[in-house]
Amino acid sequence: MIIKLERVKLQTRKTEEAINITAQVDEVVQKSGVKNGLVNVVTMHTSSGLLVTEGIPCLEEDILTHLARLFPEDADYHHRRYLDYDGRLGFNADAHLKSVIGGISCTFPIENGKIVRGSRQTIYFMEYDGPLERTYLVQVLGE
Amino acid sequence: MIDFHTHPVLIRELLEKYPNYERVARQVFKIGNNFQPLETFFLQMDVAGIEKAVLLPIDCRRARKDAVSSNEQVAELCRRSPRFIGFASVDPLRKGAARELVRAVKDLGLKGLKLDPALQDFRPNNRKVFPVYEAAAALGIPLLVHAGMSWAPETPLERGHPLHLEEPIRAFPKLAFVLAHFAWPWVWEATALALKYPNVYLDTSGLYYDSPKEFFQFVFSRQIPTTVIERSLRTKILFGSNYPRVEIKNMVHALRSLPLTAGCLNLILRENAERLLGLATGN
Repeated sequence: MIIKLERVKLQTRKTEEAINITAQVDEVVQKSGVKNGLVNVVTMHTSSGLLVTEGIPCLEEDILTHLARLFPEDADYHHRRYLDYDGRLGFNADAHLKSVIGGISCTFPIENGKIVRGSRQTIYFMEYDGPLERTYLVQVLGE
Repeated sequence: MIDFHTHPVLIRELLEKYPNYERVARQVFKIGNNFQPLETFFLQMDVAGIEKAVLLPIDCRRARKDAVSSNEQVAELCRRSPRFIGFASVDPLRKGAARELVRAVKDLGLKGLKLDPALQDFRPNNRKVFPVYEAAAALGIPLLVHAGMSWAPETPLERGHPLHLEEPIRAFPKLAFVLAHFAWPWVWEATALALKYPNVYLDTSGLYYDSPKEFFQFVFSRQIPTTVIERSLRTKILFGSNYPRVEIKNMVHALRSLPLTAGCLNLILRENAERLLGLATGN
C-alpha cells in the first residue's frame, strides 16, 4: 500500500476565481507510482473550495455568480465581530458559506496509473476571498 | 491611490530571514493570519486599486522586547519595490532617538515617522518625547501616530486618547500629525482637533465592529455627519486600511459606499497623501 501526500501551493490573483488544477492533480498521481487506488484533493482553507464541474468559462462564471446570489457580501452575518484568536474582525462570512455549500474536496479512482474521470470533469480550486497564497492537499492511496 | 496605513507583519520573505518575526506578529502585534509572499501584498493592492502603500514599523523594543517590523526591514521592502513608502519608528524615550530618526530618514530613505504610545509605552505629551517631534518637524516628514483603541494586547485604551496629543500638536505647528484610526472611539475629539489645528490629519483605518462598510456607514454618517468630511475635512483625511488586520479592498469599498463626491474621494484616496509625502507634482 502506497500513501503519498503532497501540499500544493497556489497563488490566487483575484477576490474570487475558479482555477483549473486538473493537470497538477494528474501530475501528483503520476509521480506517486500508484497504479490502482484513490486520489483525494482537499483545500486547507475555509474561505476557499474544491469542486468538480465541466471546464468551461461560462460555468466558472455561473458558479461564482450564483454562489454570490446565495450569500451576498452585504447580508447580515453573525461572523462580523472581533475574533480574539485572529486579532482581527471576521467579515468574510460570505466566503465561508460559499466554501460550505460548494464543498472542499473531491475524490477520484485511479486505474493503471491514471485518474478515472469523465471527459468533461474538471477539478477546480475555488477562491472566494483572495488574492492569497493557498495550499491544497493531494493524497494518493493505493498500490 | 495611496494606502497610508499598512503593517508589513505577515511577509513570508521576512519570516524566513528574521527569527523573531513570527513571535512579534503572533504575540506583540497579535494577528493569526497565515504568512504570505510579498506577491500577495501587491495583489491585495491591485484588487483594491491601490498604487502605493505606506509601510509602518513600530519600535517597541523597550516595551515589548522586539520591534513590530524594524526600520531596516521596512527599508529592505522599499528597496524591493517602488510601490512601498517606508516610515521609520524610534522609541522616543530612548537616548538618541532623535538622531536615530535623522539617520533612518537620511540613510535609509524613510519618509515619515510612526509612533504608537500604547504599544511603545510612552505618553505623547511627555516633554522627553518632544525632541523626536522636533526632529521630525525639522526633517519635514509627517508623523503617523496611533490614536484610539488598539487591538494589540496589553495596550491601555486611555493611552490612545487623541487629546493627549494636543500639547505637542500646539507645540509643533509645522509637524503634520496624522491621527490613525480616526482615533475611534474618540471620533469627535479627533474631528475637533482636525478642525481646529491646520497640522492635524486623520486616517480612515478604523474597524472595531461589524463589517468595514457597516462601520464606515455608522461612524461617518451617524457619529460624524458625512457633510463634515465632505465640507470641512476633505483636505485632512487620508485613506488607510490597516492591512493585514483588514484587507485593503474591503476598506476601499467601505469608503466608496459613503455619499462623498468624486472630488472628495480623490483627495482622501490620493491627493492628501501625495501632499503630505511630497509626492505631488504641482499645479
